[in-house]
Amino acid sequence: MKRNFLLVLVIAITTASCNSQARPSYELAALTENEVTVSIYLDKNIDGEYFLSATFTPPDGYHLYSKDIPITGVDGLGRPTLLELTAESQMKSLGELIESVNAEIPNFEPKELLVYPPGTVTLSLPVELPQGDGWLQGVVKVTYMACSGGGCKAPVTGKLVPIRIPGVDLFGLHGR
Amino acid sequence: MNKKILILMLPITILACNFLFPLQDVATQIPPTNIPQNPIEKPQPTKIHEEKKTQLTTERTEYDTFTVVRLHPEDGDLQNLLAVEAEYAISQGFMPVVEFDATWCPPCQAIDKAINSKNKLMMDAYSGTYIIKLDTDEWGWRNGKVKNFRFDGIPVYFKLDEKGHQSGEVIDGGAWGEDIPENIAPVMDEFFHNS
Repeated sequence: MKRNFLLVLVIAITTASCNSQARPSYELAALTENEVTVSIYLDKNIDGEYFLSATFTPPDGYHLYSKDIPITGVDGLGRPTLLELTAESQMKSLGELIESVNAEIPNFEPKELLVYPPGTVTLSLPVELPQGDGWLQGVVKVTYMACSGGGCKAPVTGKLVPIRIPGVDLFGLHGR
Repeated sequence: MNKKILILMLPITILACNFLFPLQDVATQIPPTNIPQNPIEKPQPTKIHEEKKTQLTTERTEYDTFTVVRLHPEDGDLQNLLAVEAEYAISQGFMPVVEFDATWCPPCQAIDKAINSKNKLMMDAYSGTYIIKLDTDEWGWRNGKVKNFRFDGIPVYFKLDEKGHQSGEVIDGGAWGEDIPENIAPVMDEFFHNS
């Protein structure tokens, strides 16, 4: 009985330990503006690829707009949800933004104004980290706008968010 | 001999041409475009124009039972403008209400669309009001404030007193669900006429 319990405990600890090593994560910045909370972090998947991610949490009942609508909206309406590197970034983009949920056709006009379902959305950008085991200063850009059926919060467009970027060698050592 | 005749004929031909097809005639066939034939005198501002100057600079749309105006920062100080508009609205028997909106706000534009299409529900709900529209981008919405108006979402409506000050009654898009006239009109009707 005791032996079985110890065995289960060892397996659980090992699994938890393996998971935490497979998906380390660094929180780089967090902000709340116009009632949307944005958490920006770096993580690594089991294939060893690095992702810069931002989780956008609007107020209850509010939705965000698709990353794929124009920066000036559709017919001027709405603003996209974006996480972008600046031209001077120490990180290098390795692909397109990946969204955690699919955008949907809205039940209002214009139908091209794609929206995410109400609630949290995470955007992830595959990136290459700078070499070394130190920390570098940098910035990322975020854009978003939250609306409900009846109203909108003010948009945030191209807000520069200061972050500290870990070198690729540092990531594996301290990532959570 | 032939040369002498030719030389003599040349100036005669030129003179004849000028006589038959004078240059001035050609010019008068194309009327001048930038010089007014009968300059119109610019109207001089009257005392009434001066008194109602702010109202003359606004965009104004008059519906059967209510009026919508839009004020811009270049029209002047907001509180002064609101005082003039509120006084005017009340003198005409209308209730002055400020509405903040923006071109990027789908619910705000949906309301405009319903009003522009003269949706019956909206026409009835807005009856007797004098809506003073202010674009948040133009007036500067910073830290949840435009001048002394505080709000965290648009569209938002503030009732005004006769001096253009906030009466304290406010409603925003959170008061109704989906932005369709069937949802908006009953709520706005209640706000405008019964609260």
